[in-house]
Amino acid sequence: MDMVSMGLLAAMGALATVAGASEDLESDVGSQSNPNSQVQLAAQVGHTHRIYNKAISGEPPSNALYAALAAVTASVLMSGYGMNAFFAIAIGSVMAAIFNGIFSVTAYMGRNTSQARFNQYVYLDVLRTHTTAIMAHAYITAFCVVTISYIMTAPWLPIQHPFPFPLVAMIWGLAIGAIGSSTGDVHYGGEREFQNYIFGAGLNAANSGDIVTRAEAGLRSSIDNVWFCARFGGPVTGMAFGLTVFLDNWRTTIFDPATQGWYAVLTGIVIVILFIVYNRILEIRARKRYGPYPEYKGDIEA
Amino acid sequence: MSVAAGGGAAKIDKTKLMMYGLGGGVLGIYLAHVLNEVTGTDYFSFLAGLGVIAAVVMGSDAVRRVCSYGIGTGVPSIGLMAMGMGLVAAMFGLSIGGVAGPIIGIAVSMGFGYVVGLLTNKIIKMNIPVLEEALMTLGGAGAIVLIGLGVMISGVIDYRVIIANVIDTGYIAIVFIIGSLAILHPFNANLGPDETQDRTLVHSVSAGALAMFAVGIASLETIGVEGFVSIFVAAVVWIVFFKKFFDLVKRDSAGVKGTGLLPEGGM
Repeated sequence: MDMVSMGLLAAMGALATVAGASEDLESDVGSQSNPNSQVQLAAQVGHTHRIYNKAISGEPPSNALYAALAAVTASVLMSGYGMNAFFAIAIGSVMAAIFNGIFSVTAYMGRNTSQARFNQYVYLDVLRTHTTAIMAHAYITAFCVVTISYIMTAPWLPIQHPFPFPLVAMIWGLAIGAIGSSTGDVHYGGEREFQNYIFGAGLNAANSGDIVTRAEAGLRSSIDNVWFCARFGGPVTGMAFGLTVFLDNWRTTIFDPATQGWYAVLTGIVIVILFIVYNRILEIRARKRYGPYPEYKGDIEA
Repeated sequence: MSVAAGGGAAKIDKTKLMMYGLGGGVLGIYLAHVLNEVTGTDYFSFLAGLGVIAAVVMGSDAVRRVCSYGIGTGVPSIGLMAMGMGLVAAMFGLSIGGVAGPIIGIAVSMGFGYVVGLLTNKIIKMNIPVLEEALMTLGGAGAIVLIGLGVMISGVIDYRVIIANVIDTGYIAIVFIIGSLAILHPFNANLGPDETQDRTLVHSVSAGALAMFAVGIASLETIGVEGFVSIFVAAVVWIVFFKKFFDLVKRDSAGVKGTGLLPEGGM
């Protein structure tokens, strides 16, 4: 363990936190992943809406694409044309944001068009206002993830991951998509999209698609959703990804994997156990404080 | 057919699409290889990209057929599985086949797909009638997309060159992920009860062009400025087909509005 490695570790943790927050907010503006299924169903159960309907492929593959594309572009600019890493990664992230915009626009148009029989319109102003917000968030995510991957693979830095730079970026892209999807959706789906239902009630299958389509004033848009999610869902996703990147690299920075590998493994196990205990305590507290969960009364005959 | 996911009546026959996809894909890959070898340049690598677009159209039609059996959330998984099968088979074919590698890779991949389909239908008992044939098509599409994008980056069909330029540099990351998105995104983005085949397929051409564009960027390092031809061709194809897609959106949708309130009485 040296000071440079610790500094890089801190930088990676910070970048990951920002990336996690922006990734979750990106998917909230676009209603990607799990919320998207509900937005998709809404028109079919009679709630036509002005919410962005972005079905790309689930967050893990789409974020893997943005990260891989940004890393490939950066790698071409650096090794092929000798560009400075900072600018190369910035240009790569612009490319990722553009691809994100294109995929988002086609998904919005396509999915809403396929709901024609339910009178779901394609609103061009929704496209104009939301796509730019989506692209901006995607830019931040791609920049942070690719910078993390660059720190891990750059030949002049001490970490020296054996995988090539674009591949590491793709793997981190998958990871951030998965974390954004699992952590972020909970706060979006439960609290914003289904405000008609009490906290902790879960979503009955019969209520699928019964989303809130009107805002405090006027019609609900996804910008309105991201405004809500930026307060808790985004930051908590950032914390989840930041902790994942930080703690995972921390144990191998403290203990040299070559000589003290088992210590690193044991530390990992201890961290996981601590988190399981902490999560359980948190869940019980939340249930007590914000409940009630309705008691389970057994299956009811239809 | 399940109406929820779409995938209703097909205007273009699947056999025709398979012929175009397989023929176009193989032709594109070999034309790129031969013309590059004969002229001693890499200017013709873009032809492999055009072959990839043909295979993407074939693949996304197969996704459309199999996913109309109500596996909505399975669309991304099916696309990624196609690429997985394609990757293994393509590398196997290229490593043993020399110049015949692509044909061997595609054939192995299609066989692979058929067996996977057979296992899921007979042993796991998913009982989806088109599964064997759709997975066979998808395996073939996956292999063509991988080999085609690989040839775009390296300029020739040569196992060692492709390993050095595509795998060792890590560009396989973008080849894999954009290849699978090109196959799975068109149906995924158009999913719904009013999905139409022509709109999905027009979209798949533009998604294929995006794959070609992204890989064209990667080829700028390996084959140099000659890779700009791929980027330019891909951009033109994308613009043309995105416009067509937008026209079909206007044709099929309940209404394309500049802005406005919600329509009264959705149902």
